[in-house]
Amino acid sequence: MKKNVLSVILAVLTLLAFTGCGTKPTAEPAPQKTDVEKIRIALVLPATVDDMAWGQSMVDGLKEVQKSMGEDKVEVAISEKLGNAVDAGSAIRQYATQGYEIIFAHGSQYQSVLNDIAKDFPETTFAYGTGFATQPNIFAYDPQAQEGGYLLGILAAHMTKSGVVGIIGPVESGDAVKYNYGVQQGVAKGKADVQTRIAYTGSFNDIVGAGNLAKTQMSAGADILTGSSQQAVGAVRAIGETEGNYWLSTDMDQSSIAPNHVLASQVYHWEKVVTKIIELRKQGTLGGQHLTLTLADGTIEFKYNEKLADKVPAEVKAAVEAAKQEIISGKLKVELPKK
Amino acid sequence: MDGVMSADIIVIILATGIRLATPFLLAALGEMFVQRSGVYNLGVEGIMMMGAFAGFYATLQLGTPLLGIAISLAIGALMGLIMAVVSVTFKAEQGISGIGLYMFGWGLSGLLFRLYVGGVTSIDGLKPIAIPLLSNIPIIGPVLFNHNGLVYTAFLLVPLSGLILYKTSWGLNVRAVGNKPEAADTLGVSVVRIRYECLILGGMLAALAGAFLTIGQANMYADNITAGRGFIAIALVYFGRWSPWGILLGSLLFSMADSFQSMVQVLGINFPYELAVILPYLVTIIALAISYGRVWAPAALGKPFQRGTRG
Repeated sequence: MKKNVLSVILAVLTLLAFTGCGTKPTAEPAPQKTDVEKIRIALVLPATVDDMAWGQSMVDGLKEVQKSMGEDKVEVAISEKLGNAVDAGSAIRQYATQGYEIIFAHGSQYQSVLNDIAKDFPETTFAYGTGFATQPNIFAYDPQAQEGGYLLGILAAHMTKSGVVGIIGPVESGDAVKYNYGVQQGVAKGKADVQTRIAYTGSFNDIVGAGNLAKTQMSAGADILTGSSQQAVGAVRAIGETEGNYWLSTDMDQSSIAPNHVLASQVYHWEKVVTKIIELRKQGTLGGQHLTLTLADGTIEFKYNEKLADKVPAEVKAAVEAAKQEIISGKLKVELPKK
Repeated sequence: MDGVMSADIIVIILATGIRLATPFLLAALGEMFVQRSGVYNLGVEGIMMMGAFAGFYATLQLGTPLLGIAISLAIGALMGLIMAVVSVTFKAEQGISGIGLYMFGWGLSGLLFRLYVGGVTSIDGLKPIAIPLLSNIPIIGPVLFNHNGLVYTAFLLVPLSGLILYKTSWGLNVRAVGNKPEAADTLGVSVVRIRYECLILGGMLAALAGAFLTIGQANMYADNITAGRGFIAIALVYFGRWSPWGILLGSLLFSMADSFQSMVQVLGINFPYELAVILPYLVTIIALAISYGRVWAPAALGKPFQRGTRG
């Protein structure tokens, strides 16, 4: 019996040791002797740094900041695959203990965890999003996903031949609801007789499920598709295998996955948000602000895929541009779903 | 949108359901052999992830999905072997070692992907093969006879597994080892050997299920690509009462419900999406509850075999 117990323990330890290899954070958060000038930023991600969506858009933003301020001026450490808020919490606390000055928890699910931790580190700046609730040392950032969604919706309404625009949603909450609502309004504005069909997979990271849902959408008639979250890449890939169907991407430009199928994108420029937070901190504001990303301040960009730009007729581009100017000038406010 | 479903829509739902059932069938049939021999392997999900990555990476490098499948089978056999060493030779507690194997597979596949690929990369996967003549039959043709090779393989494995399990001496040995390992041992059947063989076979089929996701469905790889399908496959083994036909029934029920709920959402039929998404699980649980009768399981399931002791 004794031997039995021993072998169980040995086996589990071996497996745990192996598992440890696999989930190592990508950057070493080793504390260093920092000169006064250097800013130390940490990022906690629910998915991966290369998910071609939500996570990667933020990583690209941080890299941009590093480039513009100087590699030696900004240190960035990243921990990924921390979708579970409790695991993320211990990573966040560790970063704070190690003296990172600004810690980004890149997901709405981290709000309550941050509220707990931030009290213990009053000198550290925390930021999370999508969200709006803040604390004296917590920033909340909040992309107005509906604005780009509205423009993509107008484009979709004009580009569809079948008269059906399909949305592949993750879970009906937060960002996805805002984005989808924007697309719906844009489609309705673009052409009254075009239908928008929304379906959800019930997951954020099931790329196979998103691909299958895209196939179902297409077989039932949708020829322009869109959707948010990291699983969307599975849908983009599924559309890339077909002819005559197009994808509209959000969070970042996904045209590298299917260069001939991604018509246009809503791109978040996180570097501007990060820079703003760094500056506010330098001026002594550690948090407490709700930072929105909008078309008006350039943190949201509407971008055509250059390769397919000639597929979009000039009058359609004009209609999209007109709506964009109306949103920027404040004349048009894209509505949000009423709670 | 008054919920009228045309014949075309029904064909799409059925054909999609057949495609969705494939990974469950492959992984569950493999796990059925494992459990019939008296071991339960909760690491199916991890093996699937390794198989998914191996198949994807080999296809990316070598350019042909067939080699991807071959390499994925080899990796699956290796993962099954690891489980066999830990749970059969070292007699480790099977639940814990299975979960360990799952975490190992998840971590390692993610790490290898980061090291050797990194980022979203597409591959050319398996193409559908329309079976001549049969695929022209109305309704049945598009539903059953226009899929890729792995879909046909999975469905052909159902009767084949039945034959192997009930009509061959190896199948008899497997069943004996899973029910009365002491008796099998006295008759000269090597319990250890049979369990090793079953775990390796189960590993290969789980890896094939994973490869189907990357080579036969998504044509790309991403971390955690299986998204829980391995655990559903294990549940389907229980649902199917450790029989190939039962597993076929469970896989189809689950996948058809999934395919149906997607279409209900897509067509905008007024139905709350939260309920739609859980429909496959709900239907499967209800079917299991209704069919509840004599619960049979391999008698030695989960018990490591030690010569000279009683079960």
